[in-house]
Amino acid sequence: MGEKEWIVGIAEVKVARDPDRLVAYGLGSCVGVTLYDRWNKIGGLAHVMLPSSLPHGRVSTAGKYADTALEELLSSMASEGADLGRLEAKLVGGANMFSALSQQAVSIGMRNVSAVRDKLGEKKIAILGEDVGGVHGRTMLFFLGDGRVEVRKFNQPVEWI
Amino acid sequence: MSQEAKLLTEFQMDALKEIGNIGAGHAATALSQMVGKRIDMSVTKVQILPAESIAGFLGGIDRNVAAVHMPIYGEMLGVALIFFPVERLPQLSGMLIGRKEEEPAHLSELGQSAIKELGSILTGAYLSALFRMIHLQLIHGVPTLAIDMAQAILDSVLVELEQKDEIAIVIETSFLEDEKQLTGNFFLLPEADSLKKFLAAFSKSLGLPGNG
Repeated sequence: MGEKEWIVGIAEVKVARDPDRLVAYGLGSCVGVTLYDRWNKIGGLAHVMLPSSLPHGRVSTAGKYADTALEELLSSMASEGADLGRLEAKLVGGANMFSALSQQAVSIGMRNVSAVRDKLGEKKIAILGEDVGGVHGRTMLFFLGDGRVEVRKFNQPVEWI
Repeated sequence: MSQEAKLLTEFQMDALKEIGNIGAGHAATALSQMVGKRIDMSVTKVQILPAESIAGFLGGIDRNVAAVHMPIYGEMLGVALIFFPVERLPQLSGMLIGRKEEEPAHLSELGQSAIKELGSILTGAYLSALFRMIHLQLIHGVPTLAIDMAQAILDSVLVELEQKDEIAIVIETSFLEDEKQLTGNFFLLPEADSLKKFLAAFSKSLGLPGNG
């Protein structure tokens, strides 16, 4: 069979297990959040677009907002058999690619990052690694065998978190 | 997918291509004046694409591009994006400022502002052609430039528009300078309500019934 690659598109949430990998291509101001259960080698990835579902009332796409995406990710991981008490998280993305256009003091990318951090704090999930902010987009590959995340950026060496 | 494909009829697509050609003609004149030599421009393709297919259209999910971004205001809200392939930036800067920049990832100030100016000329020309044909008054804001992964640029624009399922109107434009050809892609991404307005204005000006 060999390992499979699952692509997690914008506003999507997916769960997979060893030896597969979950990939989010081209994160700009979106944030990719991984949750990993190291004992059962089950992991999930959410490709979050916006910080909060609150201004939007009833939400049709849970994966779009930090708060609802993480709830969805946790319940999908639970139904795959992950131990929710032993999860670790990593965050990638939240860039501000068109820096000149951001009139707000804090870019939407960094507001996404804070919203994800807050939600993880609320769920008492530790953040083991981050590669966030800046002005460049990122592609992330999440390996379910050991929980490592490979981060690729344009014109820069590959990094692991 | 078929739903997007049918947003405009073949006749309307031809009209859109005509708008593109009028715009390209004006942009070519402005550009030739700016660089002091003759530059020809023509529209090679017009398409309506769902956002998830844009990176594929530009050559793949991990493709690197130079993108000029401009907010669109007026009777319709949205974003205009002009994409150029990164590997053609030296040729493009050669055409615009008469100096080939060797490092596409680190363009000089001058090179960057020339490419932003090109984006702004193209967008202005397309918007005024749209006004003339379908009487939708649109203006563009200040251009910004990003050189990065096409998919990440789109990702940021979708966040800005707060939409996941976005439709883009694409006008592929080819530039010709001393027999050397260069292609750029103009994308207009309207906000959801604005797309309806655009299609309605389009049908009305062509004397067609509205598109549902």
